[in-house]
Amino acid sequence: MITSPGSTPPGSTPLGLDPDELVACVSCGLCLPHCPTYRVTGLEIASPRGRITAMRTVESGLAPIDEAFTAAMHACVQCRGCEAACPSGVAFGHLIEGTRARLAANEPTDPNRGRRSVSRVQRLVRRALLGRALTWSWLLRLSGWGLVIGRVLHVIPRRLRSTAPNLRPFDVRVRSTIERGGRPDVWLFTGCVMDAWMGATHNAAAQAIRATGTTVGRAERNVCCGALALHAGEQDLARNHARRVVAAFPGAAPIVVDAAGCGAALKEYGDLLDDASARAFSARVYDVHEWLASERSLPLRTTGTTVVVHDACHLRHVQRCHTAVRSVLGGAYDLVEPADEGMCCGAGGAYAATQPELAGAIGERKAAALRAVGADRPGVVVASANPGCTIQLRALGFEVRHPVELLADALIPQPAEHESR
Amino acid sequence: MYSRDAGLSEGRAGAVCFPNDAADVAFAITACRRHGVPFVARGSGTGLAGGATPLDDALVIVTTRMNRVVGVDRHQRRAWVEPGVLNLDLTRSVTQFGLHYAPDPSSQQACSIGGNVGTNAGGPHCLASGTTTAHVLAVEAVTPTGDTVTLGGEVPDTPGYDLRGAFVGSEGTLGITTKVLVRLQPNPPVVRTLLLDFESIDAAAATVSGIIAVGILPAALEMMDAEITRAVEDFVGAGYPRDAEAVLLVELDGLEGGVDEQVRSVERIGHEHGARSVRVARDETERQLLWKGRKSAFGAIARIAPDYYLHDAVVPRTKLVDVLRDVYDIATRFDLTMMNVFHAGDGNLHPLIVFDRRIAGTWERVYDAGTAILETCLAAGGVLSGEHGIGVEKRDLMSQYFSPADLAAQGRLVDAFDPDGLANPHKVLPAGSRCGEAGANRPVPQGAWI
Ligand SMILES: Cc1cc2nc3c(=O)[nH]c(=O)nc-3n(C[C@H](O)[C@H](O)[C@H](O)COP(=O)(O)OP(=O)(O)OC[C@H]3O[C@@H](n4cnc5c(N)ncnc54)[C@H](O)[C@@H]3O)c2cc1C
Ligand code: SF4
Ligand code: SF4
Repeated sequence: MITSPGSTPPGSTPLGLDPDELVACVSCGLCLPHCPTYRVTGLEIASPRGRITAMRTVESGLAPIDEAFTAAMHACVQCRGCEAACPSGVAFGHLIEGTRARLAANEPTDPNRGRRSVSRVQRLVRRALLGRALTWSWLLRLSGWGLVIGRVLHVIPRRLRSTAPNLRPFDVRVRSTIERGGRPDVWLFTGCVMDAWMGATHNAAAQAIRATGTTVGRAERNVCCGALALHAGEQDLARNHARRVVAAFPGAAPIVVDAAGCGAALKEYGDLLDDASARAFSARVYDVHEWLASERSLPLRTTGTTVVVHDACHLRHVQRCHTAVRSVLGGAYDLVEPADEGMCCGAGGAYAATQPELAGAIGERKAAALRAVGADRPGVVVASANPGCTIQLRALGFEVRHPVELLADALIPQPAEHESR
Repeated sequence: MYSRDAGLSEGRAGAVCFPNDAADVAFAITACRRHGVPFVARGSGTGLAGGATPLDDALVIVTTRMNRVVGVDRHQRRAWVEPGVLNLDLTRSVTQFGLHYAPDPSSQQACSIGGNVGTNAGGPHCLASGTTTAHVLAVEAVTPTGDTVTLGGEVPDTPGYDLRGAFVGSEGTLGITTKVLVRLQPNPPVVRTLLLDFESIDAAAATVSGIIAVGILPAALEMMDAEITRAVEDFVGAGYPRDAEAVLLVELDGLEGGVDEQVRSVERIGHEHGARSVRVARDETERQLLWKGRKSAFGAIARIAPDYYLHDAVVPRTKLVDVLRDVYDIATRFDLTMMNVFHAGDGNLHPLIVFDRRIAGTWERVYDAGTAILETCLAAGGVLSGEHGIGVEKRDLMSQYFSPADLAAQGRLVDAFDPDGLANPHKVLPAGSRCGEAGANRPVPQGAWI
């Protein structure tokens, strides 16, 4: 017999997913090796194909939304390695975001609340924090990324408390010195978390941008990209963040982003808000390396330092502009590629906090791939363009820096730089 | 979750287990035998013929956790590997020695060595070097009676019957392999990949014959038709011509001087048969991108319609032009969209019918067209399957190709390995081929749909 999946109108199904998006998966399995959770477990349910099968089963009413289903959906890192690998063009990111949104919406009223579910109070607190506190940068200055967010999203597993000292926080003493507001040639998106922790990175990004003879400024107020809210299934909160961000960058100047996760989120506002002005905004967004690679080449000295390039998932699989990191760094450093085709490191926003066991196993796999190309040798630096990855890789014992910081180190000062400021 | 592979048939898993080693597999099979429960081996589930689809509530034995490369002998160029090792991972693990594992199914990034042994998988580069069976020296396997045996051996010609040969391609019906001794090949010094662009399928097919006729044996010789080329280009953006009626991907390898001369010959033959352009990949990146396109073909067709039904027949190369024309005619007759992507060098066709099973009445037409295509191929002197195996989907077509005596001989082989009929039941051989089935013409078992 032939079954006919997805014969009900969209939205009325248990997960409210688009049946055409679900049916696009032909179960070929080509995505399996690119999925970090499948690689470390060998389980079909921990694979993209398995997750899609589970979504289909629930959507067609053949199985309930139970604890196993919820766990399988929460175990996904949302790295979207599968999406980049899928020849059928399955929009996995969209499917998992939709599923997580429905799961988040169901939480307080879920009658079979499993051990993992959160209480109404926890949920309200989480929402309040995801909605607001991420823009309170002083709070983030006080605590480590994984800890705050982890505590907010679910409760921090006991296991993690022991690893907490390893989460070496960023150097929060460096403040970004970039001017706010005005009419700069390009905007630098400095975000919330990033602004608190990565002042040094922003300064380096601005230095590289200025070296091309361009003026740079940042928004009047700190705004959060909303990616964490979106990944936690809080779509409405994410939309609120998105609207604030769009409003914070007036004019037509390009918006340059130096955190891969934030950049990916900004580039998808068009779909998230589904309106013309958001689409126009997204079209102005560039990853910092992408923008620099398209500008005239920078005056760089050769450093002789070996750099192992780690690709943040949201740079490689979502923005798909990871080659730009190589073009901009290649002039100054000896670049080395890990042989794992940009496999996720397991950091995944708050993932390291909510799924410590899987994140640990995925991290170990990453560490082995990095060690195999000598990333642990003294003097060798790992380049990572995303703060989440940076924390994870530092915890694994590597010397990690942001590519733009490496770039700034190698810049030959030009007299013209001062004139154009 | 484990009810199907990448093919169309669906069954139901009674239970699923994840052995870590050969002892676990032996334990599971012995338990199955004691309780009379059927079992099915599963690697990555990328099979296209329903080979890993569990019928009769079978126990699914998944090998994903048996994924160690046990030992590489770089001098003798061979390696013992566990069945769950992925094909491409095996090649990656020996690149440092300048070696590779030659059979390269298009699914090579995802499929397992155990599955490759199960289906005797082929791939673009099997034209010159042969399919899986030519690269497997020995298999350690647990038979359906629970015994651990080693078939074949480290020397090229082991005394006695070649049971290794029988096991490779047996689709899990003779037991489950727990360790495979594979042959590795040295990487060729020079590789050149050419993309030829044609205004008609006939011209492309004639070029294939022309290349072989002058005595060149390319490392790979692949053809894609217009629709598939466009779908693939949408995914990879490798610069495949969107307006070509057919493209050929030709790979030549060997020593510098010889390869360059072959490149010139292929260019010339292509132009003689009306190629609009011949492009030689400039570097490894461009070459990899072209191959990525070819190897994504089955997946990429979902950009056109959500389902595909695929045959895998092999026809004599001399009949290629005629058979292809007939095959496209059949699609037109049944009002279906058909595409072709195939190993042109060895005449292994992959006619793909794309459809949407949600539209009522479509599936029946698809199935009938598929059967008509197959009959055409068989009438031209072809065979049923080049590489994907028979599984459950092609099973009932076996009797069109083999005589009852042929099938009975194969049935007796299976009986010798599997007296209780528990290993991957209802696969490969049509009902009635094995003793005890008393010739009953049992259709595909209940609960399975194709
Ligand atoms: C996009 C795509 C492209 C493909 N291209 C090709 C191609 O070019 N050439 C080609 O030949 N095939 C191709 N295939 C088909 C498929 O990838 C191969 O048949 C592959 O060998 C299956 O490997 P698997 O690990 O997925 O095995 P599975 O699908 O899990 O199993 C396949 C069969 O092998 C048996 N088996 C699995 N493990 C064992 C074991 N340890 N011991 C004994 N039997 C076992 C199973 O019972 C089953 O019958 C393609 C498939 C897809 C989806
Ligand atoms: S998500 Fe894409 S790659 Fe993965 S099984 Fe489905 S179609 Fe294939
Ligand atoms: S998003 Fe990442 S973790 Fe999730 S299914 Fe895809 S590859 Fe796996």
